[in-house]
Amino acid sequence: MKFSVTKEKLLEGLQQVQNVVSTRTTLPILSNVLLQARGNEVHLTTTDLDVGVRGSFEAKVDREGATTLPARRLFTIIRELPSSEIQVEVDGKNAASIRSGQSFFKILGLPEEEFPPLPKFEGAKVVTIRQKDLRDGLRKTSYAISTDETRYVLNGVLFSLKENKLTLVATDGRRLAMVDIDLEFPRSHEADIIVPTKAVTELQRLLTEEGDVKVSFGSGQIAFDLNNTLLVSKLIEGNYPNYRQVIPSETKERVTLERETFLNSLRRVSLLASDKSNSIKLNFSKNNIDITANTPEVGEAKESLPVAYKGRDFSIAFNPEFFMAPLRNLTEDEVFLDLIDEMSPGVLKIQTPFLYVLMPMRISS
Amino acid sequence: MDEKCAEVWQQLSTALKPHVSADTYKRWFSAVRLVNASADAFTFLVPNNIYQFWIESNHMAALQAAIVTTFGEPRAVKFVMPADALPVGAGDVAEPIEVVEPEPDPVRDAKSSGSPVGLNPRNTFESFVVGPNNEIAHAASLAVAQSPARTYNPLFIYGGVGLGKTHLMQAIGQYVWSKKKNAKVMYLSSELFINEFIDAIQHSTLVKFRKRYRQADLLLIDDIQFLGGKERSQEEFFHTFNTLFDGHKQIVLSSDRPASEIANLEHRLVSRFEWGLTAELQPPDVETRTAILRKKARTLHINLRDEIFDFLANRIRTNVRRLEGALMRVASFASLSGKELTSEVIEHLLKDILNEEARHAVTIEQIQRKVAEHFDVRIADMTSKRRPANIAFPRQIAMYLARELTKASLNEIGEAFGGRDHGTVLHACKLVKKRMIEQDNIRQTVSFIDSSLQR
Repeated sequence: MKFSVTKEKLLEGLQQVQNVVSTRTTLPILSNVLLQARGNEVHLTTTDLDVGVRGSFEAKVDREGATTLPARRLFTIIRELPSSEIQVEVDGKNAASIRSGQSFFKILGLPEEEFPPLPKFEGAKVVTIRQKDLRDGLRKTSYAISTDETRYVLNGVLFSLKENKLTLVATDGRRLAMVDIDLEFPRSHEADIIVPTKAVTELQRLLTEEGDVKVSFGSGQIAFDLNNTLLVSKLIEGNYPNYRQVIPSETKERVTLERETFLNSLRRVSLLASDKSNSIKLNFSKNNIDITANTPEVGEAKESLPVAYKGRDFSIAFNPEFFMAPLRNLTEDEVFLDLIDEMSPGVLKIQTPFLYVLMPMRISS
Repeated sequence: MDEKCAEVWQQLSTALKPHVSADTYKRWFSAVRLVNASADAFTFLVPNNIYQFWIESNHMAALQAAIVTTFGEPRAVKFVMPADALPVGAGDVAEPIEVVEPEPDPVRDAKSSGSPVGLNPRNTFESFVVGPNNEIAHAASLAVAQSPARTYNPLFIYGGVGLGKTHLMQAIGQYVWSKKKNAKVMYLSSELFINEFIDAIQHSTLVKFRKRYRQADLLLIDDIQFLGGKERSQEEFFHTFNTLFDGHKQIVLSSDRPASEIANLEHRLVSRFEWGLTAELQPPDVETRTAILRKKARTLHINLRDEIFDFLANRIRTNVRRLEGALMRVASFASLSGKELTSEVIEHLLKDILNEEARHAVTIEQIQRKVAEHFDVRIADMTSKRRPANIAFPRQIAMYLARELTKASLNEIGEAFGGRDHGTVLHACKLVKKRMIEQDNIRQTVSFIDSSLQR
């Protein structure tokens, strides 16, 4: 195999796939990237047996062929190369010679045959989503994924396809984020599938503002086809909890908040939230919210925000991190906070179909 | 039972209502039923897993508060769901719930009811595969767990890497703890003990340190061999040991070699370690290895053909951990690639492990060389006809080791030692065995050569 390519193209190609590379040392081949030169393209593939990514870049291929090379090492070498023209040549023993300007590197690879193939999808169900919609939806939900491995069904985002809607849901038991995306698909494609965290993270990296993504799923696997890049992942097996149960049916008070202003206030006040209880208090009174935090033996913080509020006076406490996460990931200027009382969950909404349920913390006083 | 539970739940609900909002109660607790109430645990039946997740994350404090108000003390809280509470066709509601109890998970239990730190809930007696290699250790451990400090105290378990020492110790810990919730179970490695001791010296908190350890009802110390050479830690441990022993508290120790062979361990400690019962764990035989693989595969829901189990069990002999690692690797490869698993594919997949295993195969020649080197005799003496004691005995040890470590028959061994007949070899083996029992230094020498050969 022999090809020449510009440094930028090769780096870009490697960047797309290298995050998947396995950190497990048990199977050395998994820390390698598969390179396949054909026509005027070189395909790159990485996998950790759970998630796999396949991308490509244009190159001048002098001799077709395939090999696997250590991904991280290859990436660091390419990044440091002095010239923008790079020539890669691989001999019959999978040793790659990399030439660029005055530099020469030789790195040893493993044969292509050892690389586990990505699974094939046959008879899978396919839906097409606008990349922008999916990217937006994942951004608004993925921060709420549970990291508690004992609740493995929560270690991912639920893709629920029902009644011409794709609903994305993530929860960790204390908060829940949900987004609806309108989507046309046949009745037979209705399904509930759980996409694991790692695949979600990689997918967010790959999605762009333009174009569509073709999603194929079936028999415990899912594939996202983004024109030149393909991401394949195992699905989490099991039943995602009935999240609708969590959403309060009716709320009493609604306040409209300026997202950025409110977020900044929360961030400042949370500096004095104690590590132990880690809560901040919102005190509602007529046309005003006082945000307060205090840690015994350390100090306290308070900030007042004028808002349009006409309901009764009351206080409610939240985990500041859980409150700030959605605010950071939304882009709208205004958000609505719906509340019932100090012991019931708060609900954050925006103009578009999005919903974030947040459990209050107990106020000890 | 049902009526009693309903009544208890009635009481609990009344106590619970002030702690949660009306909406929360209606939404989460009105659908909950109490299905089992024992002296130390309540089992609640919830409609599905969201109830369990949400109540655990948000309303545990309220529920525990209600339990304390009603019954005066906290209880462990468990949840079951209809799908696993009622296996298909089961008529009786109360019974199956006990059986299909989900495995307690470490994080949750540690938080909600304070389980002893550092115990992996997977390491129980139920999940331990018993074979001829570990029968005694298992039986002794079970006896100790059932009546701590009354049978064998201390219990000293030793054996090679990955043979189940830690598993057995943790199983004892969990058994004791599950029977008696207020028992103080301490499980730690000797390294942690040493570190905490050093820390205590540094911050002059020795009194606190002593109090902590000397209050334990069951003290489990893993990898005790690391105490070797640490003089002050040994002294401290000696006193801890005596205090616990005199207070009739159970002590369980594990090590990778017998107490007498731990280098630089004080004699008073060695003799104390050997006081109770010493149990050895040996590498499992092929049947046990197959059983381990099958059990592991079942808990992980892996389906493989019998030939694959046999292949793995036959090829990986030394270490249970490695065996399980190989199983995982094969299973994950199979599920992802969907390729047919032939023995060539597996061979290729497990290349590194199998190579490592193969290196442990010792030849008679290596044994002869090692023994000759150790006793400072010529290799030629191993095969010669001369038989003064200083040559004959090393030669007999070499024959004994050849018998133990290789698959060669008595005749083949005799042949390799200068054409001796099988009777001579048999005699040598018997003699060495006998002298190993009688004389400690001979046993040590032999096991030293043995272990240096295995390396």
